[in-house]
Amino acid sequence: MIQAEFLDIAIAGIACCVPGREEALDKYHAVFGAESVEKFSQTTGVLKRRIAGEKQTASDLAFLAAEKLLREKKVDPQGIGALIFVTQTPDYRLPSTAYVLQARLGMPIDSICYDVNLGCSGYTFGLHLLASIMETSGIARGLLLFGDTANKFIAPEDKSACMLFGDAGGATLLEKRADAAPMRMTFRSDGSAYKAVVIPAGGYRNMGVGHENRPWEDGCTRTAYDLNMNGTNVFAHMISEAPKLLKEYLEAQQKSVEDYDHVVLHQANAFIIKQVAKRMKCPMEKVPISMDRYGNTSVASIPLTIADACTREGLHGQATYLMCGLGGGLSLGVVDTVIDSADVLPVMVSDVYFDDGIL
Amino acid sequence: MTTEKKLALLEDMLEMDAGELKADAMLADLDNWDSMAKLSLIVLLDEECGKTITSDGIKKLSSVQDILDYMG
Repeated sequence: MIQAEFLDIAIAGIACCVPGREEALDKYHAVFGAESVEKFSQTTGVLKRRIAGEKQTASDLAFLAAEKLLREKKVDPQGIGALIFVTQTPDYRLPSTAYVLQARLGMPIDSICYDVNLGCSGYTFGLHLLASIMETSGIARGLLLFGDTANKFIAPEDKSACMLFGDAGGATLLEKRADAAPMRMTFRSDGSAYKAVVIPAGGYRNMGVGHENRPWEDGCTRTAYDLNMNGTNVFAHMISEAPKLLKEYLEAQQKSVEDYDHVVLHQANAFIIKQVAKRMKCPMEKVPISMDRYGNTSVASIPLTIADACTREGLHGQATYLMCGLGGGLSLGVVDTVIDSADVLPVMVSDVYFDDGIL
Repeated sequence: MTTEKKLALLEDMLEMDAGELKADAMLADLDNWDSMAKLSLIVLLDEECGKTITSDGIKKLSSVQDILDYMG
């Protein structure tokens, strides 16, 4: 098992931003039938979610969150030495959207910036990457930006996904501090299941594929440019592999769920969250839920759930967090650290987009 | 595990009354055999039988007997 440990790097701030447009699931009554939609809500826990505007990208949401976070924390962007943007919905095929964000934020050219293509597990992998960069350089402050507008790559009547995902983005500031609480992590990657969550076209493997709709194996109609998620296989993987890695991690650290104030699981669907919690023997009181109002927000779901819980539950002071992200790849990440509620901003709402980026 | 015990687990999973589920029933004929039931079956197989199943494996199941056989 991989065990990463950072002893002098702290999560110094978290901010998340969602689009203004809120959508309940009633509009799907006409498509799938009211009873079917109702059942979907019961299983997944999704009642409504936020959907980005046509010109609004994940980087717009991450930018607004980062800008506000730096302002609130009184951090000069010139002092940020690294920016990692984790997304599956970048602004362009190239360059890395991190460069657009670097310029928009006014960061110095003496910096390391790039994108990471990961979704639901991406927050944990992003924390590891940014902390590693800081650990091996003189960089004292780094920004982990993240976001996805998954609704832009989902076929409109894909029953497995079109009611599930919400769009969101955000920022996390990492800071080198002598008094930082330890940040410990573990990861697992299983590329044998790369087909379980895939957008087949748009890269260079399936070039020249048409944009026409066709029925896929699971009966849903999609184009090759839409998300094709084998929900059953992902589910089977998640409910067995996530608790397994979490248990192995806790055992290696000689810790138990009792050592954590909050266990934040990726908001994949409520059924999975409950199953994972049950297998860890973790009471649901410790497991905050945001997907009832925001849906599955991909890479943003862990920090968004933390930000939402801090405001909604009026959390104060430092708290211990065990986070677990899991998603396409298939990929699985666990992060164990302390976060001060005072460093977590309330969830922002905005429809602002970057006009200058439209080429 | 006895067939009775297996059937009882499946009845519980499908929210059916005890004795209501027959081994020769076809899954396509069961109202409750939906996507949620399939997810519940994954959990049941994992917890009660220590077995994993893929979406292709689930597709191959056509009768209750197929599930009973898979449960081992």
